[in-house]
Amino acid sequence: MSAQNQEIAFDITWISNVQVNQPAVLRRAEQIQTRRTVKKDWQAAWLLKAVTFIDLTTLSGDDTSSNVRRLCYKAKYPIREDLLKALNMQDKGITTAAVCVYPARVSDAVKALKDAGCDIPVASVATGFPAGQTHLKTRLDEIRLAVEDGAKEIDVVINRSLVLAGQWKALYDEICEFRKACGDAHLKTILATGELGSLTNIYRASMVAMMAGSDFIKTSTGKETVNATFPVAIVMVRAIRDFYWKTGKKIGFKPAGGIRTAKDSLAWLSLIKEELGDDWLKPELFRIGASTLLSDIERQIYHHVTGRYAAYHDLPMA
Amino acid sequence: MAAAAATVTGPSAGASGVRSIFSTMDYGPAPESPSLVLAWLDKQGSTLGHFVNGKWLKPEGQEPVTCRDPCSGELLASCLQADDGFVALAVDVAGRALEAWSPLPGAARAQHLLRLAETLRRHQKLLWTLEAMASGRVVREVRDGDLPLAQQLLQYHASWAQTQEQALSGWEPVGVVAVVLPPAFSFIEMMWRICPALAVGCTVVVFGGPASLSALLVAQLSEEAGLPPGVLNVVMGTAPPETLLPGLPGVAKVAFSGPVQGGLRLLVQLSAYEEMLWKLETRLRRVRQGRSLDWAVDMGTRGPAAWERAQSYVQEAQSQGAQIFQDGSTPPQSPFFPPTLVLGLAPASPCAQAEVPWPLVTVFPFRTAKEALAMSNGTPRGGSASVWSERLTLGLDLAYKLLMGTVWINAHGLKDAAAPVGGCKENGSAWHGGPDGLYEYLHPVGIPPRPQGPPQLLDYDKFGLSAPPVLPSGTSPASATAPYGVFVAGRFQNPSSRSSRPVLGSGGRICAHVAEGGAKDIREAVEAAHKATPAPGWASRVPGSRASALWALADAVSQRSQELAEQLVEVTGSDLADTRTEVVLSIARLRAWGAQVHAQGAGLHSAGPHGPFLRLREALGVLAIVCPEGAAPARLCVSHRVQRPFSSTLSSWQDMAGLLPPGLVNVVTGDRDHLTRCLALHQDVPALWYFGSAQGSQFVEWASAGNLKAVWANGGRSRCWDREGEGAGPELGLRAARTKALWLSLGDI
Repeated sequence: MSAQNQEIAFDITWISNVQVNQPAVLRRAEQIQTRRTVKKDWQAAWLLKAVTFIDLTTLSGDDTSSNVRRLCYKAKYPIREDLLKALNMQDKGITTAAVCVYPARVSDAVKALKDAGCDIPVASVATGFPAGQTHLKTRLDEIRLAVEDGAKEIDVVINRSLVLAGQWKALYDEICEFRKACGDAHLKTILATGELGSLTNIYRASMVAMMAGSDFIKTSTGKETVNATFPVAIVMVRAIRDFYWKTGKKIGFKPAGGIRTAKDSLAWLSLIKEELGDDWLKPELFRIGASTLLSDIERQIYHHVTGRYAAYHDLPMA
Repeated sequence: MAAAAATVTGPSAGASGVRSIFSTMDYGPAPESPSLVLAWLDKQGSTLGHFVNGKWLKPEGQEPVTCRDPCSGELLASCLQADDGFVALAVDVAGRALEAWSPLPGAARAQHLLRLAETLRRHQKLLWTLEAMASGRVVREVRDGDLPLAQQLLQYHASWAQTQEQALSGWEPVGVVAVVLPPAFSFIEMMWRICPALAVGCTVVVFGGPASLSALLVAQLSEEAGLPPGVLNVVMGTAPPETLLPGLPGVAKVAFSGPVQGGLRLLVQLSAYEEMLWKLETRLRRVRQGRSLDWAVDMGTRGPAAWERAQSYVQEAQSQGAQIFQDGSTPPQSPFFPPTLVLGLAPASPCAQAEVPWPLVTVFPFRTAKEALAMSNGTPRGGSASVWSERLTLGLDLAYKLLMGTVWINAHGLKDAAAPVGGCKENGSAWHGGPDGLYEYLHPVGIPPRPQGPPQLLDYDKFGLSAPPVLPSGTSPASATAPYGVFVAGRFQNPSSRSSRPVLGSGGRICAHVAEGGAKDIREAVEAAHKATPAPGWASRVPGSRASALWALADAVSQRSQELAEQLVEVTGSDLADTRTEVVLSIARLRAWGAQVHAQGAGLHSAGPHGPFLRLREALGVLAIVCPEGAAPARLCVSHRVQRPFSSTLSSWQDMAGLLPPGLVNVVTGDRDHLTRCLALHQDVPALWYFGSAQGSQFVEWASAGNLKAVWANGGRSRCWDREGEGAGPELGLRAARTKALWLSLGDI
């Protein structure tokens, strides 16, 4: 992964003058989903690329070491080997970008991935995921413990009340503290955009999170009623672009929640390509948080290779 | 950052392809198959004919012309070119079909339109593929933009047809309509015009060029949908029939348009100029150009002629000191012209005045909103504009003040069947869509249509060039009270000619002398009228204030009604009873239009998820009226309810002058033809009503092409002003104001 982002001084002028025009964003979102079809070999290559962006995720109350272990092996072998061979892609080391779990499951995941003999990073959600409604002290402890257990990436949720109250400096300070608590681990900041009230707030929260040293900004926990949508994504990637133009720093983007189909994933890739450029099309700067997406991609690859639609039992479960 | 898309190649790049695509992450070709279109063309044989009277016609002896895919240059088909005889035949066919089509109940016509919509839906893939291939526009634009809009247009106009007998009572179809299609954009431009025409009961002959293959397909599908033969005909030919058609007996109306989508003019506030340019350039680098059948490209091409226009504009602009931004990845021999920014043109340079060709954008900085408004309104174009501002107060203010037919606030290019599309200034005064589009094809019942036929031989250079001299020829009754002069800017003043002309009463007796007005008087009158219009003038007054001014005028006329009636007897020789009726009617009309001031105004219409639009009725600005015989010879009015140009002798004006703001109504008397010439050739008169001779009408229409002023001419036919329909009917209301569609985009929750 690229070098960590470091916080920069809080500058209110970077956010105070910005107004997001929602109808215009909605129209751009509509366009971007339909204007960049990829077909045939291009589709297969793009889908395999999408696999390498996936943060393969399980965030359930009934997670145990057994299903986390299964997930880790699926992360290592996301696409059936014979399918990769048919595409001459077996030696490309295609795995998912990370495995993402609750803090209590980090050690299970670390062990399973070690057993599988791979160095896929483990990402842990933290800071009172998904609501963030716990004391700052326990939220910071949560980060430290997950890092101690071997998490290389921490997906923190922000304190939505600070956004809704317009306390941008306080939000900045909190995220700076998260940054410190992460140590060497990467900080991925979840904005929970479905609960921020407006696209303008989403832009401002994105900018604050980047100023405070986030390596990634992420749309959602997957637990809000509205998760990763294209309008939200456009606002966030435009914030990333503005931040890059101002500072020269490239910050990553992670949509999460509700991305289930191979077709969806292609649209997300073209959104990144169009709005941020090819530089961002790598796991260091783009992730997709998903749990069921991988199996749909594998089905599409199966169809591309064989010309047949796969039965449920043709593809190994996660 | 590649702009030019790969050309459409074979379906697979091979197994090694996946590896290389995986590392480059390039886009690949995503072609729509042309096979459906090729099969359709194949079925028509080597040459496409015309579709007339419900069948394909391929007359002998017509020169074929080739139709090529503008993106690849590949031959698509050969089309015939209609000769004059065939055009006349098609018009004749439409004329005969009219006899059965126009008397149909509206509800039956509505069913026909809905069946056509259904048929188009059934064959939509053929339609969008054909339109994309023939026009060079990208297939996505046609499928996602044109086809849903076509469906909406058919449905919208079917609703009007369904309720025609109630909603459009008092109006009848004009007759056979000739639609001349622009070089590209054939399909949807045709639908905007044929839907209202067919709905109200007109029959149509469409004239298309080689890029208009889809027009032929629509005509063929209309036959499949059960539209009676001859109602919709498509005639192919490259020669512009504009010159031929107006003179052709049987054509009641010609609807045509120039190139539809030109380039754009972008005005950016100075404080945001640099950042805006940077963002624009970034975006332009990602625009993909390629073959129109590729689903993943943004822009196709409009053919070699459009390419040449763009290239010569760019060279011209460079020679005038402009900087050009183009993404550098379009290969030099490509048929695609890259989207281009033209920067640093001064408004005074010739290029800044010329029409910007597609796909160019000229960018100008402005310092204040006021300056932006002046820059925008300072061009002869008045089609459409969009205003981008996060400040609602500013956005709305600009939208109201822009002299445009359509203004979008924080949006661009939205369309709706119910939203009228038209313009002012050089965009002309024709409308498509909405109620305004319907009236283009309607004519008030009971008023015989203008006589048709070829234009008369008229020496445009000489018509009304000077007023014939008037020499002293008798005595006039001395009147101490009657004022004398041309009435300009609220007072009577000496005419520049310092001459007079006698007003002959009944029996040839001179009953008064009026001033002999000339070009200079017209110039001053137009100036005075312009001064009376803008804020805080007449047009910006609240409706109540305008209404009460008209009512006060009515009262003043009423107080002198006896005197007026007597004067009218002297001039016209009619019975006192008749002239009394006339004066009473004048008063009633003034009051009625005064009342209507309140009724006119904005209507808010819902138009889908993007937000509603306002249909505004705005002042025409300065309206020139050449009055009918028996009335004061010429009169200048500021619109917003022009009271009917009724005969009122000059003496009454003295009392009334004080009731209206100076310059609101100006009266210039004199030689009709001479004053008409002065008015018609005045570029700053946006609208002209002419009620006079057939020759005068012809001159007015010819001369008005100079600034495309909105002209209403009677063609020499007299009008019964005392009848309700002709003297006060909805036609006057329609003509007396201009429509503007103002789109409000909303949504921030």
